[in-house]
Formats: sequence, C-alpha cells, structure tokens
Amino acid sequence: MGENSPKRYWKSLEELEPGFDAPHDEFPEPLDGPVTQFDRRGFLKAAGFTVAAATLVGCGRAPVEKAIPFLVQPETTVPGRAYFYASTCAACSAGCGLLVKNRDGRPIKLEGCPEHPSSRGGLCAVGQAALLGLYDSLRLRQPLAGGKPSTWEEVDREILAKLTTLRSSGGAVRFLSGTITSPTTRALLERFLKQFPDARHVVYDPLSSSAILDAHEQTHGVRALPRFRFDRAVVIAGFDADFLGTWISPVEFTSGYRAGRALEANPPRLSYHVQFEPRMSLTGTKADRRWRVAPDEIGIALTHLAARVAKLAGAAFSVAGLAASPVPAAFLDELAQRLWEARGRSLVICGSQDIAAQVLANFLNHLLGNYGATVDLERPSYQRQGNDRDLQTLLGELESGRVAALFIAGVNPVYELPGGSKLAYVLKQASLVVSFAERLDEASSLAHYVCPDHHFLESWGDAEATSGTVSLFQPALQPLGKTRAMVESLAAWSGKPQPAYDILREHWQANIFPRQHRERSFEAFWDRSVHDGYAEVEPRREQGKTFRFNAVRPILSSARTSAGAFALVLYPKVGMLDGRHAQNAWLQELPDPVTKVTWDNYACLSPAAAARLGVKEGDVVRLEAGPGNAVLELPVYLQPGQQDGVVAVALGYGRQGTERFTKVAPRWIWARPGVGENSLVGVNAAPLLELAGGCLRYTRSEVRLTKTGATRALAATQKHHSLTVPQNIPLLGGERRDMVRETTWPTFLRNLAEAKHAAPAAQEDLWPADHAFPVHKWGMAVDLNACTGCSACVIACQAENNIPVVGKDEVRRQREMHWMRIDRYYSGSDDLDVVHQPMFCCQCDNAPCETVCPVLATVHSDEGLNQQVYNRCVGTRYCANNCPYKVRRFNWFDYARDDRLQNLALNPDLSVRSRGVMEKCTFCVQRIQEAKIEARRQGKEMADGAIQTACQQSCPAQAILFGDLNDPKSRLSQALRSPRNFRVLAEFNFRPAVGYLTLVRNRAEDQKEKHNG
Amino acid sequence: MADLPVVLRPSLIEGNKSLAQVTRDVCGGLEGKPTPLWWAGFLISFSVLIVGIAAVTYEILTGVGTWGVNRTVGWAVPITCFVFWIGIGHAGTLISAILYLLRQRWRTSVNRSAEAMTIFAVICAGIFPVVHLGRPWLAYWLFPYPNTRGTLWVNFRSPLVWDAFAIGTYFTISLLFWYLGLIPDLATVRDVARPGPRQRFAALFSLGWNGSARTWQRYEVVYLLLAGLATPLVVSVHTIVSWDFATAVIPGWHSTIFPPYFVAGAIFSGLAMVLTLMLIARKTMRLEQYITIRHVEVMCKLVIATSGMVALAYATEYFTALYSANPYELFAFLNRARGPFAWTYWTMVSCNVLVPQLLWSKRLRTNTLVVFVISILINVGMWFERFVIIVTSLHRDYLPSSWSTYSPTPIELATLAGSFGLFFTCFLLFVRFLPVIAIAEVKGVLKDGWLKPEARRPVPWVREPAGAEVLTYKSAAEGVQQ
Repeated sequence: MGENSPKRYWKSLEELEPGFDAPHDEFPEPLDGPVTQFDRRGFLKAAGFTVAAATLVGCGRAPVEKAIPFLVQPETTVPGRAYFYASTCAACSAGCGLLVKNRDGRPIKLEGCPEHPSSRGGLCAVGQAALLGLYDSLRLRQPLAGGKPSTWEEVDREILAKLTTLRSSGGAVRFLSGTITSPTTRALLERFLKQFPDARHVVYDPLSSSAILDAHEQTHGVRALPRFRFDRAVVIAGFDADFLGTWISPVEFTSGYRAGRALEANPPRLSYHVQFEPRMSLTGTKADRRWRVAPDEIGIALTHLAARVAKLAGAAFSVAGLAASPVPAAFLDELAQRLWEARGRSLVICGSQDIAAQVLANFLNHLLGNYGATVDLERPSYQRQGNDRDLQTLLGELESGRVAALFIAGVNPVYELPGGSKLAYVLKQASLVVSFAERLDEASSLAHYVCPDHHFLESWGDAEATSGTVSLFQPALQPLGKTRAMVESLAAWSGKPQPAYDILREHWQANIFPRQHRERSFEAFWDRSVHDGYAEVEPRREQGKTFRFNAVRPILSSARTSAGAFALVLYPKVGMLDGRHAQNAWLQELPDPVTKVTWDNYACLSPAAAARLGVKEGDVVRLEAGPGNAVLELPVYLQPGQQDGVVAVALGYGRQGTERFTKVAPRWIWARPGVGENSLVGVNAAPLLELAGGCLRYTRSEVRLTKTGATRALAATQKHHSLTVPQNIPLLGGERRDMVRETTWPTFLRNLAEAKHAAPAAQEDLWPADHAFPVHKWGMAVDLNACTGCSACVIACQAENNIPVVGKDEVRRQREMHWMRIDRYYSGSDDLDVVHQPMFCCQCDNAPCETVCPVLATVHSDEGLNQQVYNRCVGTRYCANNCPYKVRRFNWFDYARDDRLQNLALNPDLSVRSRGVMEKCTFCVQRIQEAKIEARRQGKEMADGAIQTACQQSCPAQAILFGDLNDPKSRLSQALRSPRNFRVLAEFNFRPAVGYLTLVRNRAEDQKEKHNG
Repeated sequence: MADLPVVLRPSLIEGNKSLAQVTRDVCGGLEGKPTPLWWAGFLISFSVLIVGIAAVTYEILTGVGTWGVNRTVGWAVPITCFVFWIGIGHAGTLISAILYLLRQRWRTSVNRSAEAMTIFAVICAGIFPVVHLGRPWLAYWLFPYPNTRGTLWVNFRSPLVWDAFAIGTYFTISLLFWYLGLIPDLATVRDVARPGPRQRFAALFSLGWNGSARTWQRYEVVYLLLAGLATPLVVSVHTIVSWDFATAVIPGWHSTIFPPYFVAGAIFSGLAMVLTLMLIARKTMRLEQYITIRHVEVMCKLVIATSGMVALAYATEYFTALYSANPYELFAFLNRARGPFAWTYWTMVSCNVLVPQLLWSKRLRTNTLVVFVISILINVGMWFERFVIIVTSLHRDYLPSSWSTYSPTPIELATLAGSFGLFFTCFLLFVRFLPVIAIAEVKGVLKDGWLKPEARRPVPWVREPAGAEVLTYKSAAEGVQQ
C-alpha cells in the first residue's frame, strides 16, 4: 500500500494536514483499551448474579430470635406450657382453695381447687377477678413515707425509732385490721404487740357478723362464729342472710346448699329453703318460699317462729305482748312443723346485726338440735371475727387522742365506717399511722407510712378459715414492685427480720405440724401441704358451754318507721362487697346478679314505693337520714320483690381511685363519661351505717326520700325482666315465653317415676344432618336448679377469654362484651319467683349464624363447635342479628386496656380481637385443644371430664357440665337423659348443644304450676 | 284498513314543538350558565354530602361503635338506607325497561332522569353495606375472587353474597342501559355544543355515532335486548335484598311474602322518588312542556296501584302471623303496632297506605304541589317501612333478656343525610352536564296525537301509532342539522 496507491485516504485532519490543531484530550479516557470493565454481557451476568443472590438470601430464614431468652432454663419449666400452683384466695376472708394457672412465669387465670375441703373447686367472681388486681399499675411499688416514695431501709429506720420511743413512753399502740385468718400472722402480730406496754389488736369487718359472735357469747359462752353446714340441712330458714351471695363464705355455702339440692342423686334430694328478707337478695331468688319482711320486723318474725318451735319442743318461751307477725301465721305453723320434723337436719340462720335476733336464731337452732349437726360450734369458722364493740372503743380512744400509734391492715376505716370524715381528721392528729394498704386509698393516703403488702399471689402465707383446714399461699410470681409482706414488716419491727417463707415454715413446724398425724417428717408434711395448697389438721376445738336459756329474750315489737319514711338497708353487692375491689374493672362491669346493673349503685325501691314517690327508674332521689347524717343522691332502681317501705343501697361504691375508670371506655365524640359525679363510680353509702349498741348496723329507720328532678341513666345489661311479654302488646294479655321451665317437687318426682318406664323418644328429623361428628360432639348441660346466679362464671369466662371491659357508657348502649351472661327473669307479682339462666353460645347444629355469614367466618367443626374465625370476619353483624339467643358480641371499637400492665393477665392461648370482629363463646376451644393434644401425646382416649370449661370450673354450684355427647356413658349424656332436660327454643330446630335442666321448687303443686310451659 | 279502530290521544309533548326546538330546549340548558336555583340546590346538596363524607370517614377511622347499633340491634339506620336506596333505584329500570317493552310511550320524557336516578340510588345504596362492615377495608372478601388462601371461598348460602351479585349485576345493567340510551343524545350534544371540553367529551362518549339507518337499527336492537335483560332484574334485585331478611330466623323477618312485598314496595318508593325529581326538574329546568301534567297523572296512577300492593302486603303479614299461631311471629307484628317503635309503624302506614289514597281524586293528582308533598311523604313512609322491618323485628326477638332499644347517633344521621347529599349532588350534576330528557326518544313521540289517522300503520296488538319509529330516525338527523 502506501505511495503506490492511486488514492490516499486520510483518516483525520492531522493526517491530511499535520498543522491542523485538533483539540487535545477530547476523550480523556483512553479509547483504545477496554472502555470499561463491564461490557453489556458482563453487566448482565453481574446483575443476574446479584439479583439471584439477593433473592436467595431473601428467601432464607430470618435469624431465629428467641422470644424467651432462657439462658439457663429453669428446671421443670417449659415455655408456653401452663403450670398450676395450689394456693389460697385472699380476695375475702373465706380462704377458698386456688389453682393458679401460670404461663411463662406469670399467673393468667385463677381456678378453684377441686380438693379444697370448703370451697370444693368453686371460686366466686371476686376471687376470679383478683387476678386483674394483681396487675394493677396503681398498686404501690414501694413504701411511702409522708406520702413520698421511700425505701424500706429508711421506712424501717424511722418506724423503729418511733416504736422505740413508744416502748419506753408507754403510748397506746393499736393494730386495726380486718379478720386475719392466718395463724402465722396472728402469732407474729401477737409477738409484735407484746413489745409494747399498751397494745391491742382491734378487728372489725366492714361486712360485720359481729352480732353472731356476740350472740354465741351470750348463749354458749364462747365468742365464735359457727360453721354453718348447708350440706347437712334439709330445711333452711334464712332471715336476711345472703349466704349464697355475699354472707361470710358464699362459695362454701353454695357448694353445701347445692349438695342438699341434688336432683341427679339417687334418691333425689331437695332441701326446703324459706327466706325472709326486706330486699331481693341473690339467696332470696333461690328460695322455695320467700317473704318480704321489713328489716325491723325480722326479729318479730323470728320470735313468732321461735314461739312455735318452742311449743313443739316443749320449752318455755313467753311471748306475751308480741306484735303481729309480718308473715301469715299458717305459714309459720307449717315452717315450724317442717323444721321440727327435720330436727338436727334443719338450719336457721340470721344475717341481722341485732344481737337479740341472733340470740333467737341460736335458740331456734338449739331447740331444733342443730348444734353439732348443721351448726358446728366445735369446729368454728375463723372468718368475720370482727368485734364491733372493740372498734367502738378504739374510735373513742382515737377521738380522745389516746392512741399514739395506729397500724391499719386490710381495712379502710375512713371509707367504710360511719363518720369516716371525722376519722380522717383524727388520723391526721395521731403521731404514728402506718398502713399496709396495697394502694393509696382514703385511709392509707392519710398514713405517715405506707408499707405496701404483697398481692396475695406474690406472697407466702396461710389461712385457717375454718378450724382444722389450714390453707397455704404460695407466690406465683416475683413481686411486681418493691412491696413487702406484712409479716416481714412486722418481723422487722419486732427486731427479728426474716423472710416470710421462713416465718411461715417455722410457724408451721412449731404449731401446725403437731396438729396432724399423717406425716412423720415435717419436710414431707410441708411439701404435701404446698402441693395441695391446704392441710387438714386437728381442729382447735372451742369448748362451747351448755345453752343458756336465760339469754333468750323475745323481740316483741320494733320501732316502726313512720308513714312516708323508709327503712334503709345497706347491703353488699356480689362482686363489689365492701368496696375493697372497687378498682377492679371486671367487677365493676359485672352485672349485679339480681338487678343486672353495672358500674353504679342506686336506691332500690319496690315498684309500688316508686309509684308512691312518683319516681321512675333513673330518677335521682335525695336520701336523708335525719340531721347530722350524710345526704346521698342516687338514681332509683325499681326492684320487684322488695318490701315496700324499704330503700336498699349497695355499699362499696364511691371509692377514691375509681376516677381511673373515666378512661376505660372507648373514646369518640359522643361517648359520655364512663362514671358518675366526682368522676367516682357510684356513691359511698357507708356514712349511713350505724355503729351503735356494739354492732355495726346495716339497717336504719326513718330515711326520707325526695325527688331531685335530675336523672342518671343506669347501665343495665338486661332491660326486660320477665318472660311474660309486656302487657300492652298482645291482644289477649300475658303471653309467657318458654325459655325457662320450672316445676314443683311433687311433679318432678312423678315425672321421674314415669320417665323410668318410658323409653326416650328418639328425635327424628325430616332432613339429613348437615354435619357429621365422627369422634366428639361437644355439648353442655346447665342445671337451672343448681345455678344460683352468683356470676362467678361470667368473670371466669372474662379472664379465660381475654374479654375486654367496655365501660359504663358502652354498657348503657347495650354493648357489653361478656360472652357468658346470666339471664334473670321474674314471674308473679307479689309472691315473686326468680330464675337465673346462664346463656352463652349454644353451638347449634343448625346454626342460624353460620348460613348467613358471607365470608365463612363462622363455620361448624366436626366436633359440633360453632367456630368463629376472627381473621376472616369482616363484621357484617348478620350472624348476631340472626342469633336467636343473642350471644354474639361485636367489637364496636378497639377496646384499649386502660392499664397496660393488665395485658399481662391476657391468656396467650387466645387472640385479642380487633375492632370490627364478631366474637362469642367457643366452649373454651383452647382447653379442648390442649386436652386433645395431651391425650394424643399420652396415646390414650380422652377421659370424660378431662376438659372443663372456665365457667364450669369456677361454678361453686356445679351447675354447668361440659362433655362429649357422642359418648353415651359420659356424665353429660347421662345428665341430658334426665326428664328435666329441655332445650331453649327447641321448636325451631336450631339443635343447640346446650341442654338446660328444669328448675324444681320445693313447694306443693300450686297455681304456679301453670307456668310449666 | 282505514276502519281499524284508532285511538287519538292528546299529544304527549305540549307546545307544538318542532324537532329543532326539542334539541334547543334540552341542549340549550346545558350550554348556558346554571340558574341560581341550581346553584342553591347544588351547594346545599354538596354541603350535606361533605357532612356525610366526614361522618363516614370518622366512622371508618373509629369504629361502628360511633353508631347507635348494639348487641341486639346490629343493623339499623344504615341498612335501612341501603334497602331504601335500592328500592328507589327500582323505578328507573321499571320505567326504562318494563314500560319500554310495554310500549308505554309516555315514558320518554322521564326515562332519562329515572335511569340516572337508578344509577345514583344504587351508588348510594352500595355505600352502606360497605361502610357498615366492621372492617370495611375487607369488603372485597364478599366477592368470590381467586385467592392465595387455599380453598377459601365465599359462603354461597349467605344472602349477603347473593346481594353482592344482585346489586353488582343490577348496577352494571342499569349503567349500560342508561349509557346506551344516552349515545344518540350525546351525539346531538356533540353536534350542537360549542367547541370545548364538553364537545370533546360528548364526541368521545357518543362513540362515533353517525345517525345512519344501520346505526339506528343496531341501537334499537341492543336497546331492546338490554331492556329485556333489565326486566328480570327489577324483580330479582329486591327479591334478593328481601332474602337478607326472609332467610333469617328472626320473627318479623322470616317470611315468604317478602320478595313480592319488597319488589312492590321498591317500585312504589321509586315511583314516588321519580315524581319528586320530575316535579323538581320540570320546575327548575323549565320543562313543563315535556313533563306534562299527563305524565304526572300517569305516575300517580301507578303510585296508587303500588300503594295498594304494599297495603295488601302489610295486611297479609298480620294474617300470616295470626294464622301461623306462632307466638313469636304474632308478637313481632303486634310489637310493631303497639310497642316502643309504634310511631314508626304508624308513620309508615299513614304515609304508604292512607296518603296515596288522595291521588284517586283527579283534582289533587293534577295539582303538582299536592303531588309533590305526597311523593315526599311516600318517600318518608317507605324509609320508615324498612326501619320498621329491620329495627322493630330485631329489638325484641326471642329472649326477653336481650331485648333492647335503639336510637341513632348524630354520626348515623349524618351518614343518612350524606347519602341524600350524594344523590342530589349527582343528580344536579347530571341535569347540568347531560341531556336530562331523552332527545331522540322525545322526538319520536313528538308528533303523537296529531298525526292524521291515514298516515298511521296500525298494529293490531298495540293501539299505538308505530310509524313514530320511522320519524325517530329522521328526527335525530334533523336535530343534527339544526
């Protein structure tokens, strides 16, 4: 090439013309080498690799983060598995046996201990709700000195210094407490008080039974509370004693009462129960005969009865000048006869705080030979040991400034005693006031030192509620705050600081162990007792003297309430009792078993009395009890079955601290504040109590009511109270609905005899069954005869199933969330009959809810359960509309827990339902699953009774029975074969899996028979 | 041929309009500025709509608890509104489809607005089932769509699923039907409108309509087919809505009379609403010559007929309750008339049974003010009919322990008002932007009544001049030429 070629091709201007000045470095990077490391292919390869690698990495499992970082796993603890610890309930003084269900180191449910000799597996609503109290963030977390947070060292130092000066100066030391059933605490307290020259332990009960003890002192020479044995009684005459609801030991009494009314037994038993009372109590609702008697006439009625029984017994009892009986004489004759026929198996009890009336009750029991049989004075009860006379003395001392140091434990005198405001003033003057309260309340906020006690679930302890049965407390979790057991505080101040565990063990070794003969070694005895939660030991026998007839005086007349005035009855409500659990949202929202009202107290008036006053339900009345007494303003509640001249008001409301519940309701623009005036829940009625004649009295006469014109809507969960439809609707009057069946004892016996011969009618259906139940078919039986309406099941269900609290406003809007409710119906007018019907999802086989759900969020399982799939539910509420039993509950809002600490009480086996989702009773499906898994793990058939639903477990009356309908031998199948079995709304063929057993009243076949449906 | 009986009627359209005049009258309204009356109506409706939107937003954010519903009464005002609006929607399809098939030519003046009303009413109705859900963001779960949740499907036994289908179908057909009827008119608008967005909009949606005989022929076939398809829907939609109640076990709901009863009630309420709207439109849009007193009268007669059907249903319910001897059923009905919600029941009976009887009088039914008031009362009565069915049946059902009461919260009432706001906002926008009278169809009946008998082609089974059809084709062309 080159020069020879005819044409020269130039490639650039420089080549053509070397002088041409082309711009240098036009391309700064060398153009000849590889331009970049990445060519297109390379890029694709790299990108492909990166994407693929990233994808692969993304697909890998995330590093496992252990939710429960047990570095060293505690022995015998498996995360996620529930353990049960036996303990004792201290929510009241009854000391029922507990099984504390612990999950991952925290209690999540309290159950009754089935072996416990007095409670026998039941646990009342208050006991169930104690769990929520444990996780109350308002409980004190450390001691307070002068209202300021302090440390134990500092508090101990200061208190010890003051005690030392007291010891030398001889100032009066008073220890004011409620009944202490713990032998260890009592012993330690004795030791503590011995240090001082002038020291005394004063015991009072806000719900006092002091008159019973005083009466026994008069008649038997021993100040003791006998143990009432309802299980042995076949005729029970109750005089204003709400023994199934709130009186002394309701769980034990309910269990005993139930044992005396066992219709499933062979032969069936049914005790005869007569109740005389001024207001409608829970016990009154169960009575076979109930008489409305004004509070001041209880004594007269007792005298009339005593006169008749004395005549039968041939005892001298002069009743000359006796006022007319409030109860027809013929009835009293009959009752006296029945009591007399059941000598030694009858029981007369009286809840009055009038010693004379209690003496008469003792007289009756003595005449009937009940002492040693149904009234056990040898093995007495150690509950309600309060002595109101002592209390009166102490209050006098306090007023005169004689008391140098006052210790307050377990009571709240400023709140629950009459003249509390005066007491508050007096307390401010005392030189040393120490409170052991768990939280700041009316009294502890006045104390110089607050040394908060543990919650009973956090501490060691014991209780001897009835002589011979000593129960043990064991801690179920580490204390949540820096609290200290009262015994430790007392030990520290007695100069011998010791942990509660050691104190308890030492006391047991020295005092309890010798009272038993079963175990040889203390270690074995201790271990067994801790395992069982109680120990049966030799009772401390009380040596009752012979009956002193000269103590008995008839009550001939009473100061009658003048015309236009009312007699006031102050009563404890199931759940709220004396107000000690007023900070418990579950209990505040628990519908009262009789009135069905939540979140309030109110003035109960009979409909006739209300008509006379011209007031309707919800009208606020002013309640005046004469000059110098507190004036209460309360909404009226119309209570059928109440004596016309009586106004009844519940205690336990208006507690300091209940203003927290203003926050409990969902917040939205038209939400109305959840609580009453002063932001407190209800009104404190305790200022109207009377401490007179050595007794704290719950009744008083001469109370005047005036209408204020204001209204306060009550939050009731039930608005219509009768099975009869309203009179103004049907054309031909009184149509009664057949939801509840009841019969009389003679009819029942006849039916039972007939049923033995009749073959059970096979149920035939026109259509083939929709569902097959190859293995299990779960069902339930509810014995209406056993059910007392005590509502333990309602709270048990709430605790088990994470049911939220919705607040007063939402209840008022009829949006309570309880899965389990107890329907209460009245029938008759004057001679009122009451039935309680627990109602919850009946798990119908032909469930109306299932067909209408558009998204299949509620479906039938092959074990007969009507399942609700929360995360599929879109919330059409069609199912709730179509539920004939109206048991479905909708999450109208996100129900935020007002107290985040209380989330610890949630059951991890269940979800917490979100807003917009329907929920309802599941038959405790989590328990069913657990039992099934356990049975499979052990390779066994599931035993009948292996599953107990929460409601069934808690029921003190064993009214609820869960089981497998596929197993003809199961207890459930047997129970449902009873002629008493009926299904609610059976005629519609919903085929509910819940059978109800007819209520039987022990009375002759009378006109009420027509209600048999 | 000449001796066949021929009925001469007064003209359906008054004022001896020419075809061009019709176009001018209808399209002219769209071109000019809105009247102050329109602005007033629009602003009020829109404000109410905003209130409703606020209420619904708040409700969705906070929870259904902001309503007055409770554990016993799970459905109340919102579902009442749902059934009410679905009912309103019925008259549109009735007038456009059934009356079309029955060759009721008077319908041409009102069918467009009736169809529009149907669309808007169904939109209003459709909102309620969604917002009343606990979790409205999951409303799509009511539809059976292929999903990744395994075999999870909807419950085909649930009337709510049927509802979703029925309303979906109804809405689709109604929308198509309405749109199809609009096409020739949109073409007219396209041709007469000033250049601008409106003209472009009309051009786009008239789908290249050219008014040729072939286009007309196809249009007529499709219209007829759609009318045939829509007719069963008139019956089916409210039948299915009634099954929401009839298949339930609640006394007062569980009743086989519900489907015909609901359909009759729906048509009744829809006719009343059409009357209300017609009377408003003819006054505010100055369409008295198109929507004549004769139209009002015909509608009134239909109202009397359907009112009678509704009254019969009310009576039958009581008879069935008595005859069945089911105490729960009987109680449910007596409770309606004598219970706490008796005032709603008697409002319903007065408005739906007693008040329409006034229309028997010719003097009253030709007085537009009287008819307007009556139509409003019927709307009120029909709203209460649904309220009575839903709330009074639920609030006292089987177990007396769970009996309850119900009162709506302001949020609920705002939602109710908001649905009216939405409806009237939509309707007012419609009369503003689309031809409120079916121009092409009116042109078809323009010459009715004054054509000479010999110019007619009598059809033995329809005593109506069918030659109008021929004129229809021409009229559109004429309209275009104007």
